[in-house]
Amino acid sequence: MSSALQSKKAQAPSNGADGGTRADASQRFSRTTPRGSAARRRARTGWLFASPALLVVAAVTVFPVIFSLVLSFCEVRLEYGGLRLGSPTLGHYEALLTHAEWYRALAFTLGFTIVSVLVELILGTLIALVLERLGAARGWILALLLLPWALINVIAAQLWSYLFNSTYGAVSWLCEQVLGCHPDILGQPVPAMAAMVAVDVWKTTPFVAIVVLAGLMLVPGDVYEAAEIDGANAWTTFWKVTLPQLRPVVSIAVLFRILQAFGIFDLPFVLTQGGPGTATQSVAILGHRLLFQNLDFGGGAAVAVTTAAMVMGCCLLFLRVFRAHVDEEGRA
Amino acid sequence: MSRHVPRTGVRRYVNVVNLGGLLIAVCATLPLVWMASASLKGPGEISATPPSLLPAHPTLDNYGTAFFRNGIGQYFLNSVVVAGLSTALILSLAFFAGYALARLPLRGRGAVMTALLMLSVFPPIALLVPLFLMERQVGLLNSYPGLVIPYVALNLPFAIWIMRNYLSGIPGELEEAALVDGAGPLRTAVTVILPLARPGLFTAGVFSFTATWSEFLLALTFNGSDDRRTVSVGIALFTSQYQVPYGVIFAGAMVATVPIAVLVLIFRRSVVSGMTTGAVKG
Repeated sequence: MSSALQSKKAQAPSNGADGGTRADASQRFSRTTPRGSAARRRARTGWLFASPALLVVAAVTVFPVIFSLVLSFCEVRLEYGGLRLGSPTLGHYEALLTHAEWYRALAFTLGFTIVSVLVELILGTLIALVLERLGAARGWILALLLLPWALINVIAAQLWSYLFNSTYGAVSWLCEQVLGCHPDILGQPVPAMAAMVAVDVWKTTPFVAIVVLAGLMLVPGDVYEAAEIDGANAWTTFWKVTLPQLRPVVSIAVLFRILQAFGIFDLPFVLTQGGPGTATQSVAILGHRLLFQNLDFGGGAAVAVTTAAMVMGCCLLFLRVFRAHVDEEGRA
Repeated sequence: MSRHVPRTGVRRYVNVVNLGGLLIAVCATLPLVWMASASLKGPGEISATPPSLLPAHPTLDNYGTAFFRNGIGQYFLNSVVVAGLSTALILSLAFFAGYALARLPLRGRGAVMTALLMLSVFPPIALLVPLFLMERQVGLLNSYPGLVIPYVALNLPFAIWIMRNYLSGIPGELEEAALVDGAGPLRTAVTVILPLARPGLFTAGVFSFTATWSEFLLALTFNGSDDRRTVSVGIALFTSQYQVPYGVIFAGAMVATVPIAVLVLIFRRSVVSGMTTGAVKG
């Protein structure tokens, strides 16, 4: 078992990163233009081609983040002509950090993110395993799975708010038939949170399943053969062979899902309006409310900055762990 | 895959895997069927208990109301303009940036790619307040550019990733030949690389169009006025005086969903390759 696995590991870096061929291509280019000035011209062309896109991205992301930062540290007054920035203050952050509502929003957002991504990962892997074993029907089911994924979030929320409706919703009716009680799903905190997770799972598990399926296709058959020869049963094979092979593929998908779930806005806005009470109020909903109901621009900016900081931190941490893992694979 | 021993007869079809597949298909589509059916139900039937899967007396009244009373046509047009314009701009910018990052000797390419990956998952809420204030200052609220500009910027990073990954897989000989023939870099990119880049452009295009078609937070915040609402905002804000008008909402939802569903089904290969671009090729 071990020898076959190691040979697969040795292949992994070369098919994982096609950077090798890319480097070859650019090297070949620099060889055809041996003079330094030509190479420099190519580099200049490169920046010329890349800069319009990069400038647009920077203008709409980097600058607003800096602006947000300034805004969150200043006294902000709304006047007829626009905003007036006052003296520097830590008041917005102080208000945020001493406000129970922010902690509640953060707790809900984190809980929602963790639970929904975890469920999606498990369910998505199961679905991918089924899809992998399907014959001719696979293409059809893949196509059907794309439909919930492509559905507008707001529409998914409206659809499920109808299905969860306490008097005539199909899910409530089903609950009554099966459990014998008639729950007000969106009217109670815990069921409302569970409903939110369920809708997110319904809508985005297809994405996870398709990514995992792509990962499964990359696992070469001889690895399984080796495991079979060594007498590993299906369960052991899955844990010891399939899962480790899936890790690099799945980690990026998980990062995408975590950050997407962390910014959730559409679903609570339509499905529960953050309620009952503030039970399903996400950080994004809170930020939006501070801005448009309370016209608290400094507070809104503070929410924006803290959210951005958390996202960046999570992203950097993830990339670092992920990179380290890839290097490990490469060296093994 | 060929690891499975083929079986014969009925047992060949009735097994755990096929049942699982059927269950997956039903779970994915049943709520959508429910929505389509509810859009055809009259006001009494839509709130009847027990709920029925198919409408007993199908009617198109909801569609009439959605178009003539709730102006779904205008929202649809706004969405087409915003998503179409954004996608066109994203593709033209992402093509050149992706080409440069895949092919040309840029120093700091790794850092740029990492930054783009991080920005492609940056939650819009973190940009909402400053962007709103900036747009307010320059008078871009309730206008098409007011949505197109942020949409282009927020969806570019992912599109550049897709283009760069796709273009770095194209063999370099053609490009070299064009350069040897004396074609400038711009002509090489447009006449040699662009035709080869079509599948990558499809992938980036479908993703950009789907994302901008569905976007809600910025559309709600920047373009709230009735004549500039996109479909997602319009459908979220469909209300009437007494109760939630689900029939009309779902009629509007069908109008907004069918084009995007057809698009995604036509380009399903592109969609799947886009989903796995960061994970499998990155």
